Amino acid sequence: MNRPLSITRLFVLLLGMLIVSVGYARTVEVDVHGMTCAFCVDSLERKFGEITSVSKVDVSLKQKKIRLETDSTEPSIETIKQTVLDAGFTPINVLVVSRED
Amino acid sequence: MGLRSFVALPVEKGGVVIRLSAVNTNSTTSLITSAAYGVGINQTLLLGVPFKLSSSSSSLDDGRLGNVSALYRYIVWRKDSLLGTDRFGLLGGTIIPTGNDIDPATQAGFVFTHFKNRHEIDIDVLYQSGMKERLDSGRYDMSWQYRLIPAEHLDWGISQEINTVIELNGRWTENSNITHQVTIGLQSIHQELVIEGGFVRDLNNKKENLILLGFRFHF
Repeated sequence: MNRPLSITRLFVLLLGMLIVSVGYARTVEVDVHGMTCAFCVDSLERKFGEITSVSKVDVSLKQKKIRLETDSTEPSIETIKQTVLDAGFTPINVLVVSRED
Repeated sequence: MGLRSFVALPVEKGGVVIRLSAVNTNSTTSLITSAAYGVGINQTLLLGVPFKLSSSSSSLDDGRLGNVSALYRYIVWRKDSLLGTDRFGLLGGTIIPTGNDIDPATQAGFVFTHFKNRHEIDIDVLYQSGMKERLDSGRYDMSWQYRLIPAEHLDWGISQEINTVIELNGRWTENSNITHQVTIGLQSIHQELVIEGGFVRDLNNKKENLILLGFRFHF
């Protein structure tokens, strides 16, 4: 009687662990000053594209903002700021807007 | 950045931009290859290599390769803002002679960029001090670029931009008068590519006109 229930519980537990390990991510928005044209801003996408813990980069020239989909803890806020500087711009504010965990 | 000068180009650390420009005068067609490499946040190496493709005169006998220009740019002051940026950089480098131009030159100058909303203004001045027999020379470029399209950027993502460009340029060689030129053109700016073209009118000798067509690639 109890055996099928245990297998079900084990399955649910494993599924939960899998979801936690895969869906661990955060969205970070960075206010950037100095962004001007499409050609210049391409460097931001390139620089963040080189970081393996960044899965998606969106740039808004209108809002002067970049939005990053990243791993839960990497890259660090300091790394994000340095990457914006390396791209030739000035990071103003880095905000974690959502965290899935 | 304007059509006639390369020194105002922003390049990220580790980034490379190459510009190929075809310049057609009344008698000569040249291909000018310019390259920029971002050494650091504020440091850039700039290289210019002119190559003569065809000529109606016999000047091709002098060699097709022109003088190579190597410059180092250091941004000494920068003020980024929400609407744009202001930057001032110093330039220093050398002219490496090829062909029959046997003497090199050292060169120094500055570049200033003001970018706000849809307007960009670039001003650069370069003085070239000739060694041995080579005469001193200099140049200035002042350009104004206005973004025609789009009037407003997308909320997210990068769209194509079209700029109008108006420039005032000057070229001077020792013992000669300065030649002033006006350049009018267009730039089509994509994320990894800029296509640009223009018409140059010589203000001193109104019969001498140039046509420019260029491509900039971001690597």
